[in-house]
Amino acid sequence: MNGIVDTIKNVLKETDLVLGWTTDPVTGVATPARFHDEKEAEQAVFDSTCAHNLAVHLPRLKDSRVGIVAKGCDARSVIELIIEHEVQREQLAVIGVGCGSLLDVKKIWRRYGYGVAIKDRDDSLLIGGEQVNRDEFIQRKCHGCLEADPDIYDVIAGEVTGEIPTDTVRPHPLHDMFVSLTPAERRSFWREQFSRCIRCYACREVCPMCFCRDVCIMQTQIPRWAGGAVDAKQSEMIQLIRVNHLAGRCTGCGECERACPVGIPLMLLLDEQNHAIEEMFAYGAGASLKARPPLLVFDVNKDIWGKG
Amino acid sequence: MSGGDIKLVGFLCNWCSYAGADMAGTSRMAQPAEMRIVRLPCTGRVNPLLVLKAFQEGADGVLVSGCHPGDCHYNEGNYYAHRRLELLSRMMAVYGIEPERFRYTWISASEGARWAETVTGFTETIRPLGRLNLAGGGARDDDHHQGPAAGSASPAEKR
Ligand code: SF4
Ligand code: SF4
Ligand code: SF4
Repeated sequence: MNGIVDTIKNVLKETDLVLGWTTDPVTGVATPARFHDEKEAEQAVFDSTCAHNLAVHLPRLKDSRVGIVAKGCDARSVIELIIEHEVQREQLAVIGVGCGSLLDVKKIWRRYGYGVAIKDRDDSLLIGGEQVNRDEFIQRKCHGCLEADPDIYDVIAGEVTGEIPTDTVRPHPLHDMFVSLTPAERRSFWREQFSRCIRCYACREVCPMCFCRDVCIMQTQIPRWAGGAVDAKQSEMIQLIRVNHLAGRCTGCGECERACPVGIPLMLLLDEQNHAIEEMFAYGAGASLKARPPLLVFDVNKDIWGKG
Repeated sequence: MSGGDIKLVGFLCNWCSYAGADMAGTSRMAQPAEMRIVRLPCTGRVNPLLVLKAFQEGADGVLVSGCHPGDCHYNEGNYYAHRRLELLSRMMAVYGIEPERFRYTWISASEGARWAETVTGFTETIRPLGRLNLAGGGARDDDHHQGPAAGSASPAEKR
């Protein structure tokens, strides 16, 4: 079993580049990086600050042989992209890494100051030299972790444990409050939330399944689904577009909400939709290479919901 | 239109429900007048975003109606539609729209009476709910090249 650096060096013998992480010299936490040769690969790391889902880059690398380092959740995106023919299995070398849950670096920085030293050891988390309760600083998505080890890989770097790292499945922090609201109150809630949206489109750009790029209907003029005005109504519309387009395709990787610079709780929408999809079709996106997205098919005998 | 009046939109397939509605009309069956009908080739063409966009632009209720399962003019359009429309109806409350404001039904060309009943029942469900007011608090789509209107309040204030 090899460490991340050696594994990437090996994979580079058969690929044009490898998508992985390196340590950002300013902040000391991981940042995405591309490795093209052995020398660059020396800089590779994998630690609990590697939150980014690198699968988002795959649809833009259709003509390359690509190696990608993937955690369990990232692997679901890779699978979904293969199902949707955005990448070919043959062009990929997936380097699986076992994940012991990730840290919410933004939360740590907000609490302890930007760039504060983070030392994550197996049994303790040290922030600026002070021992803290690690559980408090875990990425939100890790509390609903479905697979800590990738379901698709060519080679494993480091160790996989076969265990889900967090024993606590927690709903979205706003979930309980949200479900207690009436529809009219939810309407106001969303208008309030979307009044903060700056239309940066980070939620779309960071989503592995939003690969339409310059033909995304959020911005097409004909037809014009959403107006160009940056206001709550139009920003809500772009999110309705996204949620609908992600139906049966969203793997719940949480990147959209993690990337939103103004903290709009987008996962409230996607969690609810994923839940409905699971209830209706017993389907979870990215779980299996053999699956067909549920809205692309129908089943006359099973599709009975007592309506019509 | 006065503030209390509701606006309903119906997306009807050409082959069954539109013909059924037409029959209700030509047979002079009594039916409420709040519904605006948009004729589409098939419910399979009903992008759920059409429904959501209708709400965003001022609809207070949206009804989608097509051929009965098994009777689709294109054989399977309404089967695909069924999945999408059911998901949409489950998501309505999450978006902050009372689920009653959205309905989908199957009505054939010969069911004029059933259309009249459906549209009457639907209208009567929406009336007590009143206006949705989702169109408020933001520019209309076609306004945006003029920039924000002078003195317009921020979306939060306007609500
Ligand atoms: S919508 Fe969000 S959670 Fe779903 S796949 Fe895209 S980035 Fe991940
Ligand atoms: S919102 Fe829809 S059109 Fe835009 S990138 Fe995502 S899936 Fe594509
Ligand atoms: S990331 Fe947030 S602020 Fe940016 S467009 Fe998406 S919802 Fe709006």
